[in-house]
Amino acid sequence: MAGTQQARRRYMMRFLPITLAYVAGIALATALIPDHAPADVRTISLSILPGLAVIGWLWAMGRLLVELEDEYLRMLEVRKFLVATGMTLAATSMWGILELYSPEVPRFPVFFVMPLWCLGLAVGALFNRLTFGSMKAGADHS
Amino acid sequence: MKNRLKVLRAERSWSQQDLADRLEVSRQSVNAIETGKYDPSLPLAFRIAEVFAMRIEEIFLKG
Repeated sequence: MAGTQQARRRYMMRFLPITLAYVAGIALATALIPDHAPADVRTISLSILPGLAVIGWLWAMGRLLVELEDEYLRMLEVRKFLVATGMTLAATSMWGILELYSPEVPRFPVFFVMPLWCLGLAVGALFNRLTFGSMKAGADHS
Repeated sequence: MKNRLKVLRAERSWSQQDLADRLEVSRQSVNAIETGKYDPSLPLAFRIAEVFAMRIEEIFLKG
């Protein structure tokens, strides 16, 4: 279906430069911000750059949902997002409560919330595959 | 929701891809609807009815 392919192509055209900006932003911040730096203008400015890229990812994913014309494929994407969000909220909330009551538990850096959510997307894709079957399952080309 | 999509398609010798092309959706969508894994929206149900020149209730069955 041409519309779906176009939507996915546009998503990748947005995703790739945003990812490059994220990696560049992290590299720049790592190079220029010393360890234990004060929260001054420079630190905040350099930290905001990769943060903007994360917002860019969320925007690109939102646009994918808007531009996907095929309602079934859109539903599968939404399910992935819901699984990722649920998994991230559950894991971080449970770990947070554990941190609250035990000082021996290692702190979970908030930086890893987004990577955890992305991992949740993979779990969501697996969940889709298990509940809706593979894309080829049940196919009838007759 | 049960439906008669597979039978109606077979009567016309259409593949899932043929029907998907007529409906302007993916073949995966047709497969999911046919196997009862996904219930289409009302607009898509109307498009399906239009493609088969039938009423919605003649294609989709209760239960």
